[in-house]
Amino acid sequence: MPIQLTSQAYCKMLLHAAKYPHCAVNGLLVAEKTKDKKKDSHSEPVLCVDCVPLFHGTLALAPMLEVALTLIDTWCKENNYVIAGYYQANERTKDSRLNQVAEKVAARISENFSESAIVMVDSSRLTMSCFEPIVLIYDHHENKWKSREVTVDSFEDWSEAQKITSALLENRCYENLIDFDNHLDDLRNDWTNPVINKSVLDLC
Amino acid sequence: MASVSEMYDVGWEEMRDKLRKWREDNFRNSEQIVDVGEELISEHGSKLGDDIWIIYEQVMIAALDCSRDDLALTCLQELRKQFPDSHRVKRLSGMRLEALERYDEANKHYDAILQEDPTNTAARKRKISILKAQGKSTEAIRELNEYLEQFVGDQEAWHELSELYINEHDYGKAAFCLEELMMTNPHNHLYCEQYAEVKYTQGGLENLELSRKYFAQALRLNNRNMRALFGLYMLAGRGTKENKCSVKAVEEMLESMQITMS
Repeated sequence: MPIQLTSQAYCKMLLHAAKYPHCAVNGLLVAEKTKDKKKDSHSEPVLCVDCVPLFHGTLALAPMLEVALTLIDTWCKENNYVIAGYYQANERTKDSRLNQVAEKVAARISENFSESAIVMVDSSRLTMSCFEPIVLIYDHHENKWKSREVTVDSFEDWSEAQKITSALLENRCYENLIDFDNHLDDLRNDWTNPVINKSVLDLC
Repeated sequence: MASVSEMYDVGWEEMRDKLRKWREDNFRNSEQIVDVGEELISEHGSKLGDDIWIIYEQVMIAALDCSRDDLALTCLQELRKQFPDSHRVKRLSGMRLEALERYDEANKHYDAILQEDPTNTAARKRKISILKAQGKSTEAIRELNEYLEQFVGDQEAWHELSELYINEHDYGKAAFCLEELMMTNPHNHLYCEQYAEVKYTQGGLENLELSRKYFAQALRLNNRNMRALFGLYMLAGRGTKENKCSVKAVEEMLESMQITMS
């Protein structure tokens, strides 16, 4: 039921927020598709292995979001992934509330994946050293989004995530992060971010 | 740490020209501006002549973005020495106070400018930015509307208002702002395309029809606008038989785009 973040997913989220400090940013979280639907798989956490940064700036417009969801869904099917969640960092650092945009997108995702989650990034606690996790995770319970306590268990390996994110932030790797907006500006920009993925792998 | 000129093998003239390009295109790449500008000012300040003052202003604003208050204060002090009674420099002092989140003091600064010069648009816009920074969207929208009643031609303000309305999900009013912009800038494909996106988001048969038209118009104005192409593609398949032909046309355009872009 609860989601878990890998280092790659966590650090790309933060790099996206760091690249556009003056804008709201959002993106999707993807998990590997599991074949079994046994009852005990409910207690297994859903591991979000990667994230796809979507937009920065104005998040509340529909057409490009629909294009992105369609394209990313196709990509997921090719790679045996499933869209499992949504992340967002608001424009103002002091504001980390769930808003209408987040709820609408998450509702769309929930149509295909019942245990989807919303991750809100708390930019006010973003530091170079990343000494604590700065995300708020929300699950869907009885038609409402309820926040869950974020602990070390919310990550596949917190100390690794911390180390990698901190290293990438120091090296300003966010300058090379590609989001879907960048892709729409120039189709050659690859929103799967192979370069950043490789940097993450090298640091593991 | 290697200097910018060493890392990229550029001379001071190229650094100055880069800064000018970023200034003219209104880029917000503050970290780069701080890196290049700081080095340009400290190592080559004497060669810049009168350009140095506008570079001080540009670097100061970028330094505020990067939390480099030391650099911002240095630039501000140089500007104050050179232009002691300038309202433009007073506005920069106000911006520094905003960056330090001392909003009340910043507001007093701007009010002082407006007392001496009630037509000073920069100070009024900074006051609206303070409301936005404090999360007071409703007041910001109200003040911006009042501002635009007086200064109808301020395109930056119309665009800002459209963004504020979009964030409040008031798509009808956002569309109105974009209509104003399209009227005064009929050849700007970006405004057409954004208008089409707002209409699409509003939904409903009439709005989708308008959206399709404006995506098509944006594409006519700039056939490399990918958002317009995708938008047209999303809408082209709906409805009548004629539209099915446009789906095919869009698919062909998409394919040629992939070839030309890669």
